[in-house]
Amino acid sequence: MTLLASVNETALVVFAVVVGITMVITYLASKRVSTATDFWAAGRSLTGPQNGFAIAGDYMSAASFLGIAGLIYLFGFDGFLYSVGFLVAFLTVLFLLAERMRNSGKYTIADVLTFRLKQKPARSAAALGTLAVVAFYLIAQMVGAGVLIEALVGIDFSLAVVLTGAFMVVYIIAGGMLATSWVQIIKAFMLMSAAVVMTVWVMTKTSANPVDLFKDARGQSAEGQKYLEPGLFFATPLDTVSLGLGLVLGTAGLPHILMRFFTVPNAKAARSSVMWAIGLIGAFYLMTTFLGFGARAILGRAGEEAAGTGGNLALPNLADELGGDLFLAIIAGVAFATILAVVAGLVISASGAVAHDIWSNVVRAGRDSEREEVWVAKIAAVSIGAIAIAIAVIGGAGLNVSFMVGLAFAVAASANFPALLLALTWRRFNTTGAIVGVLTGVFSSVFLVIISPKVWPGADSEGGLFGFYDLSQPGIISIPLGFLGCWLGTVLTTEPAAERKFDELYVRSETGLGAEVATGLKG
Amino acid sequence: MSAPEGGLPADGRPQYDWETIERSPEFRELVSRKRAFIVPGTIFFLAWYLGFIVLAGYAPDFMGSEFLVDGLTVGYVLALSQFLMTFVLGWMYLRKADRVFDPLAERAVASAEGREHAAAETAAPEPARQPQPSGRVLPQ
Repeated sequence: MTLLASVNETALVVFAVVVGITMVITYLASKRVSTATDFWAAGRSLTGPQNGFAIAGDYMSAASFLGIAGLIYLFGFDGFLYSVGFLVAFLTVLFLLAERMRNSGKYTIADVLTFRLKQKPARSAAALGTLAVVAFYLIAQMVGAGVLIEALVGIDFSLAVVLTGAFMVVYIIAGGMLATSWVQIIKAFMLMSAAVVMTVWVMTKTSANPVDLFKDARGQSAEGQKYLEPGLFFATPLDTVSLGLGLVLGTAGLPHILMRFFTVPNAKAARSSVMWAIGLIGAFYLMTTFLGFGARAILGRAGEEAAGTGGNLALPNLADELGGDLFLAIIAGVAFATILAVVAGLVISASGAVAHDIWSNVVRAGRDSEREEVWVAKIAAVSIGAIAIAIAVIGGAGLNVSFMVGLAFAVAASANFPALLLALTWRRFNTTGAIVGVLTGVFSSVFLVIISPKVWPGADSEGGLFGFYDLSQPGIISIPLGFLGCWLGTVLTTEPAAERKFDELYVRSETGLGAEVATGLKG
Repeated sequence: MSAPEGGLPADGRPQYDWETIERSPEFRELVSRKRAFIVPGTIFFLAWYLGFIVLAGYAPDFMGSEFLVDGLTVGYVLALSQFLMTFVLGWMYLRKADRVFDPLAERAVASAEGREHAAAETAAPEPARQPQPSGRVLPQ
């Protein structure tokens, strides 16, 4: 039942298989990627179902696979609140952004924002929003990867982080969005298969009836009935609401998810891909009930210490209990694939912000060639990867992963989502509004997190930096502030050119007239 | 007015008479039908979701109370209702988009292109629109 401190050879073999599969995909993809559209948008050649799997693969991070199951194991019902928020968020994406993004964008979310706004300032603001989200999310994932691989395979934390970063950079520079997409599709398939197998296994060990499972789990918890009620993990009610708001609106501001809509040929494929993603992600989160409560029923109170802080190792421990070393190694391999697919998606969206937005459109003002843009993108991907590795190694395992993921969602919901939504739907919206909104959204969420009790633990600072402010989730304040910034910046200035061009953006986003066409791929 | 295929402008975007299309009855119908679905749909799912989250935060006892059988809580049933809502609303939107929005969008584009050609070739006023073969675009 102990996780090996020395290198686990079975897990190492499974990891090698995972890396081998993804490298073959990358090699095949590299031969078909030549133009900028291939590199950023996979030639817009993905079908709805393919992109749906890729969205699921891009979205469900190790925090979903190990984190939620672990939270349910430790805190019961509260862990399930994340699942609900993560899923309902896709209605926001489907109703408000997916098709409009596809029709009006090209490679990055900044393309949509600058469609009718002033290129340099609006693009810089959008790139800032993208990079802020990616920075928090990426570092959280890298640290998570290091901790997990160290625990599961026995490889040292720093080496694990470096390896993860190196693989993700290879996928991107060799195979661009095409390789990234297929890594995500394969990962989604592996993740779903692992979840189904484990769910069925838990059912045979306990009961196929969730109500019996709940009763078993309750019996194994020191909290009794409280385990099935909210309140064990989220102690402040306003925090629960704030987190929920950040989750349901934040997904619609995640650059790596929105970028996926540029990989399909048309709006119809974009919306069908969201529905596929909803089906996959919904089914997965339903299974987390069996994984999390099942871990409680089977491992009981005795497994709490081995599950680690946040319970991230509860699921691997459950796998070990169910199927021994081999099954543990397979689950570890799936978790590794999960992280690789998510970090690759994050880095390609960040390299888009650096190469396509800042370099090509701001620094070079559109005078560069496609070749140059793709080269800069590859250099950017290597640099971003190196920076993320450095921060994760220096910050070490002590960085609080969950607060950084929460922060990423809060920035996405407060900065990117309001600006995108208003650019697409409000005629009067202008460049000043976008800049003020994005800056307000980014800095208010970061500021609120810095003064929150999560960052200042200990008896002296029980209520955070300022005693009266005890929220650890900024969404409920920063999201309205982001919208307010957009509104205020807009009404204080006028920009007739942006209003005139609204007709074009509006017609194009609603009908697809004049939208970027699929270019397909070589071979 | 320039012909739609008459070369791309500096920013590489194809040119149409966007303002006229935006004001055309076909486009107006498309956006008002979309709005009639999306606005109430969004208000509904946000309200149902935020209601659930507020109850989870402020009424843990209610959420933990028994629902029909021992072991099943009101909170879990409400959480499942969120899953059901997401599947059903997503499916309803897809159905509506395939059957109503897409044909309306095609009609808006077709009549816009018809107008452009007519204007470019004969400088005639707006031509009579082609009747649409599909009856499915009509309100149901």
